[in-house]
Amino acid sequence: MSTNNAGNNWLATRELIPRWPVAISGLANLVALLIAVFAIWWIFFSNTGVFKLYTPLLGFSLVIWTLLIILWQAELFDFWPFQRKFLNDANPLAKGAVFTAITILLYLILVIGIVYFVIGQLGVTYFNWHSLMKYGEIGQDAISTRETASWAMISLSVPFFLISVWFMLGIGDNLFPELKQPKRGVAMLGLIAVIGIVLYAIFFHPHIGSMFYPKQIYAAVPPWWQGFAHTNSSEFSLGILFCSVIGVFYAFHMWDGQPFNLVKKQPWRFIFFAVVSLILGYVIFQGQLLIFNYLWDEAYAGGQNEMNFGWRYSHTVTMANFVLVIAIIQNVFFGKAYIKLPGIVRGIIKTVVAVAVGLLFAWAYYKWAPSLLGVCEGVSHPSENAAAFLIMVINLLMIQDYFMDGWPGYKLKKK
Amino acid sequence: MERREFLKGVAATGAGVALSGGAGMLSMAQAAPGKEDFGEIKGLKVHCISETSWFDNATLGKDIKACGGINTYQYNVDWNVENLGGYAALVEVEALDGKITKYLLDSGWNTEWMDYVFAKDGIDKMLKSKEINTLIISHDHIDHYYGLESTLKHQPDIKIYFPGTSMKESFALLKGADYSKKPGQPKNKYPHKGELIVTKTNQLYKLQDGAALVFFDAPATLQVRGENVLYFKVKDKGFVTVTGCCHPGIVTLFNYSRRNFKDGDKNYGCYGGLHISPFENWDPKMDDLIQGVKALNMKKIACNHCTGWIWAEKAAQMGLPIVKGTNKNLSYKKTGTLSKAKTSNVYLGNGDDIVF
Repeated sequence: MSTNNAGNNWLATRELIPRWPVAISGLANLVALLIAVFAIWWIFFSNTGVFKLYTPLLGFSLVIWTLLIILWQAELFDFWPFQRKFLNDANPLAKGAVFTAITILLYLILVIGIVYFVIGQLGVTYFNWHSLMKYGEIGQDAISTRETASWAMISLSVPFFLISVWFMLGIGDNLFPELKQPKRGVAMLGLIAVIGIVLYAIFFHPHIGSMFYPKQIYAAVPPWWQGFAHTNSSEFSLGILFCSVIGVFYAFHMWDGQPFNLVKKQPWRFIFFAVVSLILGYVIFQGQLLIFNYLWDEAYAGGQNEMNFGWRYSHTVTMANFVLVIAIIQNVFFGKAYIKLPGIVRGIIKTVVAVAVGLLFAWAYYKWAPSLLGVCEGVSHPSENAAAFLIMVINLLMIQDYFMDGWPGYKLKKK
Repeated sequence: MERREFLKGVAATGAGVALSGGAGMLSMAQAAPGKEDFGEIKGLKVHCISETSWFDNATLGKDIKACGGINTYQYNVDWNVENLGGYAALVEVEALDGKITKYLLDSGWNTEWMDYVFAKDGIDKMLKSKEINTLIISHDHIDHYYGLESTLKHQPDIKIYFPGTSMKESFALLKGADYSKKPGQPKNKYPHKGELIVTKTNQLYKLQDGAALVFFDAPATLQVRGENVLYFKVKDKGFVTVTGCCHPGIVTLFNYSRRNFKDGDKNYGCYGGLHISPFENWDPKMDDLIQGVKALNMKKIACNHCTGWIWAEKAAQMGLPIVKGTNKNLSYKKTGTLSKAKTSNVYLGNGDDIVF
């Protein structure tokens, strides 16, 4: 992502050039991406693969946290502790391997180590499925507890994601200009955690308190949004907040960072950024709900599958991600083809292409993914969540772009 | 053209196909116009032959987890045979002229258990004498269909209603396939020779006056899709649904009858698995479901099997008319761990009856 606010951030200062004509370079990257997608999916996620992590929530929790860690490495920590020399000179495959390994290591430390083992065993039961089974009664079995703990981790990631995006792109290095890495990254991450945990407690913890019977009303208030969301599920919060994150990604991959870049001066930029991202997220969320209502008629309390309010709220995230994947591919693989067009025209064309191809992608996914990826058939299947697959694809796109300088189709322009 | 219709048209040709996935979901927006009137019956009795599809949740959960989780293909799983039972119900319909017709809903899983419960309730004799001459397979899930042999051994030419979305192995089982090399997988030594009605989405199959079958292409676990649901219109009372697992959702079923059947807003009751919390875990959406079911104003809710004791207990506490069981199931040679643990009797258990 070009943040236009990143100062001396490596991503903002590097320049990538296509090895071949843009179309060929883009296609080469697309082929490389597809190979990686199928290999990773079938090895780690597919039900008939080796590790079978697509349960689906376990796989979803894994890819959403790894994506966040990738973004933190690049945008918050500016690839610390590696020097510019390494970033400039190292082979892209070696860089990709090193930073991907760091991502996995950080995931193991932060999510599995701190959240799962430390907090899940010594603090909050529901972050650790073994703790749920150990202390739980009937119903807390091997399968349900894994999904409960995974849902809790997904829920925790959402406010972290939103606040991270606000801080990385809405503030950048304006907040602690005097600090060098890693102090600045640590300070920013600390702030993100403080605010993220507060938002988690408000928007998601009531759901998890209601995931047990009887409700854990002394630990979590009953879902306060039920009256207007028509569901006790925090998929309502997830839908709006996640669509807000996706809206920011849309802006930076399709609209050259507009409208967020309209305001430059702090603290107004940060405030403007936060407010506009929420408005944009709400528009993406609510707009899709209207389309769903036209397609399936109105949802109703207690409805199953696509007639369920909660499922529809989650599905806004899934559908928005179909468009986002195409928007990112279009921007990072083929973006240079649009470079000579006026900004507005470029934005309009990119948007039309991303939405049209994104919907085509969604149609193709639901039609062929059961045979190509081994997922369950049916758009509202209770064991299916295409967002997990899509976020895995975004992970690989970010690894290819951030860590490997767009290899194989692109390379760093040497200075 | 009204705005809504126009937008639907646009959506259906573009975004709609992508958003809905085109994967055979039953869309209420696609429901046929006009109200169906398939007559009335005088009364309905459902006998629970067996609702204990397995006897211990944790054991079944381990089998599924070992094979990769809830999305795995059901024919690939090694099942712990000692844990397997099956689901079946005897549906007795009293026509307005007093004539009784009997239907068998589902044929269970473990043939040893199914032979036992069939003998206990005289189902085997009813099949042999053709007192029962129609088998309705709700869906081809392990516990509703793998025990097919237990039915066909008594009447291979029985008329069968069978979901069109069933797995290819399930169709082959009808013809006599054998998958029993893997533990808990089915075999059938008695190929089906009778009429086979493969049900399709959005079609109503009238069984007799006042009784109909509708196929819903709803998703289910273990890669199964689709479920046949029975609707009955009981004179002076209203509509009753009888389900195997109710994968489409009980509120959806009554919403369907409201939209598609004459007097469809008169709800009376339901029998069967309601597929809410089969593994006894809770989710805030289940609170939504209690509110949704409450709004249906049913008079009798007879639930068991995959409903979840936890949901049935909470629904009863919230004032829903949950019909209590009688503990007859405790006299069977095997009893589920939950039946032993629970004393609330909110399940209509093995051997129990419900009259609508």
